Amino acid sequence: MSAQVLTFGALNGVGIGMIYFILSVGLTMIFGLMQFVNFAHGAFYMVSAYAAFAVAQWTGSVLPALLISPLLAAIFALVSERVLLQRTYNLPHESQILITFALAILAQESMTMIFGTLGKNVPVPEVFSGVVILGGFVYPSYRLFVVGVAAAVAVSMWVAIERTRFGAVVRAAAENPEMVGLLGFDSRKVFMAAFAFGGALAGLAGALAAPLRGVEPLMGREALAIAFVVVILGGLGSFSGALLAALLIGITQSLMSMIWPGGAHLMIYGVMTVILAFRPAGLMGRA
Amino acid sequence: MEDLRFPNWITLAMGVTLVAMPWILPSLTLASEILVLATGALSCTLLLGSVGLLSFGQGLYFGLGAYVSAILIRDFAVGAMAATLAASVAGCLVAALAGLLIVRRQGVYFVMLTLAFAQMGFFLALAFPKLTGGENGFGNVTRTTVAFEQLPLSNPLLLYGFLALLCFGAFAFVQRIIASPFGSVLNAIRHNDSRAEALGYDVRRFKLAAITIAGGIAALSGAMNTLLLSFVPLSAIDVESSERLLIASLIGGVGSPLGAFIGAAVLSAMSDFLSPIWPRWSTIVAVLLIVTVLFLRDGLLGLGRILRRRPKDALNG
Amino acid sequence: MLDRRKILAAAAVGIATPALLRRAWAQQDAIEIGSLVSLSGTFANIGEQVDIGSKVAFEHFKSAAGKPLRYVQLDDQGDPGRAVRLTQDAIRDRGIRFFMNCTNSAIALAVAKEVASSGGVYINQAGADEMTGSLCNKNTFRWPVATYSAVNTTVRPFMKQFPDAKKWYTITGQYVFGDSLLRNLKDVLGEIGAQHIGNSYHSLSDREYSGFITAAIAAQPDVLCICNFGSQTVDVLRQAVSFGMKRNTKIVVVWSTGLDQFQSLGPDICDGVYFGANYWHGVDTPGNRLLTGVIKEKLKVTPSYLLTAGWACTQAMVEALNKAGSTDVPAVIKALETLSYEGPTGLEKVRPEDHQVLKDYYLMVGKPKSKMRDKDDFVEVISAEKAFLAPEKTGCKL
Repeated sequence: MSAQVLTFGALNGVGIGMIYFILSVGLTMIFGLMQFVNFAHGAFYMVSAYAAFAVAQWTGSVLPALLISPLLAAIFALVSERVLLQRTYNLPHESQILITFALAILAQESMTMIFGTLGKNVPVPEVFSGVVILGGFVYPSYRLFVVGVAAAVAVSMWVAIERTRFGAVVRAAAENPEMVGLLGFDSRKVFMAAFAFGGALAGLAGALAAPLRGVEPLMGREALAIAFVVVILGGLGSFSGALLAALLIGITQSLMSMIWPGGAHLMIYGVMTVILAFRPAGLMGRA
Repeated sequence: MEDLRFPNWITLAMGVTLVAMPWILPSLTLASEILVLATGALSCTLLLGSVGLLSFGQGLYFGLGAYVSAILIRDFAVGAMAATLAASVAGCLVAALAGLLIVRRQGVYFVMLTLAFAQMGFFLALAFPKLTGGENGFGNVTRTTVAFEQLPLSNPLLLYGFLALLCFGAFAFVQRIIASPFGSVLNAIRHNDSRAEALGYDVRRFKLAAITIAGGIAALSGAMNTLLLSFVPLSAIDVESSERLLIASLIGGVGSPLGAFIGAAVLSAMSDFLSPIWPRWSTIVAVLLIVTVLFLRDGLLGLGRILRRRPKDALNG
Repeated sequence: MLDRRKILAAAAVGIATPALLRRAWAQQDAIEIGSLVSLSGTFANIGEQVDIGSKVAFEHFKSAAGKPLRYVQLDDQGDPGRAVRLTQDAIRDRGIRFFMNCTNSAIALAVAKEVASSGGVYINQAGADEMTGSLCNKNTFRWPVATYSAVNTTVRPFMKQFPDAKKWYTITGQYVFGDSLLRNLKDVLGEIGAQHIGNSYHSLSDREYSGFITAAIAAQPDVLCICNFGSQTVDVLRQAVSFGMKRNTKIVVVWSTGLDQFQSLGPDICDGVYFGANYWHGVDTPGNRLLTGVIKEKLKVTPSYLLTAGWACTQAMVEALNKAGSTDVPAVIKALETLSYEGPTGLEKVRPEDHQVLKDYYLMVGKPKSKMRDKDDFVEVISAEKAFLAPEKTGCKL
């Protein structure tokens, strides 16, 4: 296995990692702010992917979906929050987990009812249908585009959280909801906005991933499993942790697939177990 | 929680129901499947209802018990009863080991650890196809005999009887635990574990004990599953298996072991009767789950209690 | 009021016909055939199609051995455990002796065992070699070919056309079926003097293949050979093409289900890719003309492999029942073992030594969109051959 092949594997891993980052950052944000794990995160991703498929069918290109899907996902998130999740805030945390878990099942079955059980194909936008050749490394243009979008999202989120007033409010609300309330902000509204935004991020991930992996009812489960590993490794609630962990996981997956593919999954879940058992704060989180 | 004496009327009700099921239900295998699912769900009920621990990973032990008993019966010519016992012990051992890791964590981290374990179990089973049969499953597990080779398990009614005995045993055992001092400590931990700690109980050790016992019960139900099907599908150890056990215990109500049985019966019956009519019947399960979490805190068992209470309220005006 | 409730309850119990008090339903005059299909769960997309194909066949054939046919749908929800339970119930409570269909090999193997222990007949579409190999039994028959045939009837004709394509790289599913394909491929490559320069294993639940594809590109093969099944085939191919592999490499998909996968991928991806398949609607045989005609008329669609698989198992069962002239299981088995009939791929015969149906397997190549005569004309068939492992080598002892 030459150094060149390994380098390409690592580069490819970065690409995978950026997709995983967009997929997971919404989940970690929601936990950081609202202290609960959204088992319906994968459902937002899946529903958005189906929306992307529908958009591609009607307009001939999936690109409009990059705006429409996150919007739809945000609405879906808001509606779920108002109708279901609101009622669980005073219940033990298991209730929130179980409700979102049930919501995920509902979403999966609904999509199957509307679109059928067969997987759907979403064509890559024409403008990105070629490959880019960097040295000896071949990489699909569309994947490069996805990496670009993910990077843009990462940068804008960082700026928003660290440099804007809204970001400061969000950070404060995460530390101390009551204080923020006393300061005149409705922390409930902050949370709702955050939940919608987290959902929108999952929606963006779904729309971006649709041309890469196809669209089918069970894709939400896979996404959720990945997101869980990333946010646990990175530290629940940590934005930079999610980025770091996503890249690590992506690179590990890409390299392992060249060396010992069977072990990739075992290793990833093994690492997740070790982290949870010994350092639940993950790489960057606070304990 | 229910009447805490043991045995009580619930024990009797369980016994009667188990005997009556083959006569009431249209299918003997449905009755047997309910027994298997009920025993598995019991492990979730024990953890959530008695200790307050939500486990998304009991399917790992279910699968473990299924594979261990299958391997013993097919490749080592071990008898059904011995294989089942061995499987349960294996479940306890692995649960104890896993428990040592899990028990340090609370809340969300605990739940996600159980999920991670469930995933690992699935990939482990896939990684050793020579041992587990891989995606084709582990087949050709012959149905042997029990009771000193007198009763052949190939007779479906005798098989049901054997499974019913095992299920009842597990059920009575859990009831006994709940009614015991050990059970009271678990209950105290569920309500407020820092207070229990302050009272001098080693909370971690009690939780570990509960996790170990639950693992053994789940493994027992896995072994029962092997006896019923005479093979082990890969799906016995996947994440959906864990979810099924959990859902059954939730909709029945985790407040009492009887809830595990009711949840299993409702879930299996829905699966059998609804799926030919509506392939998307899981929608109803999801709705039931939501209703249970929001309104029926004690699941369907709680529904019975609410209905019984209403006329009394009316009387009291 | 209490009385009414009691009466209703009793009526409900009566309707449910308790298992123990039920006697085997009087056979009346119909032959009931149990069909194991998955209508929910992971394999629902497969089960739906097989179910429809069989139902259409039942409507067409209507009767066998002088008795009307009745289709009994058994939804196993993709779970082999449930499949076994439903089979047990069907045998015990309804006295059904004839079964067909499966949505995956695990289900087929489990049901076959159950049918064998009770003495019935089961015709299925399992892909696992073991179905007519080490796990064969005298009650079970299999319609599609297994991995040995698939590999031999795709790779050999391919090599005839491209004798210079010496370096083969494989992407293989790391599970029993994938390994079988790989093993057979390595044997054939060794025999024809080609080189297997590398392999990447992926697992059953993988959806991201870029790592494997990067490794494949780095090896600079002449041929990329994909050895897996189902949606993973579609995903690997889609991602391989997105990495531009078609420019320098020929791609061979050994095990494809044909039309439904092509529809999922679209003509641009399929163009120039070589596919092996158990069935193609464009092949002109009397059996195919019949089945295509009926399906086009009833469902207004072109038959896919899955629809045809449901039809084929029904057809084989009907032919055997007619040949035996009765529903006596040993007689039907005997009839099946010497059966020869006009099936979807031409004249199909059952081999008595392992109960495998001997039929053609096709090598096809994807057409460019401009050359497609209609929306389903995705490929051109370049070879239709039969190649089967000698019975003594299959490991089947009947």
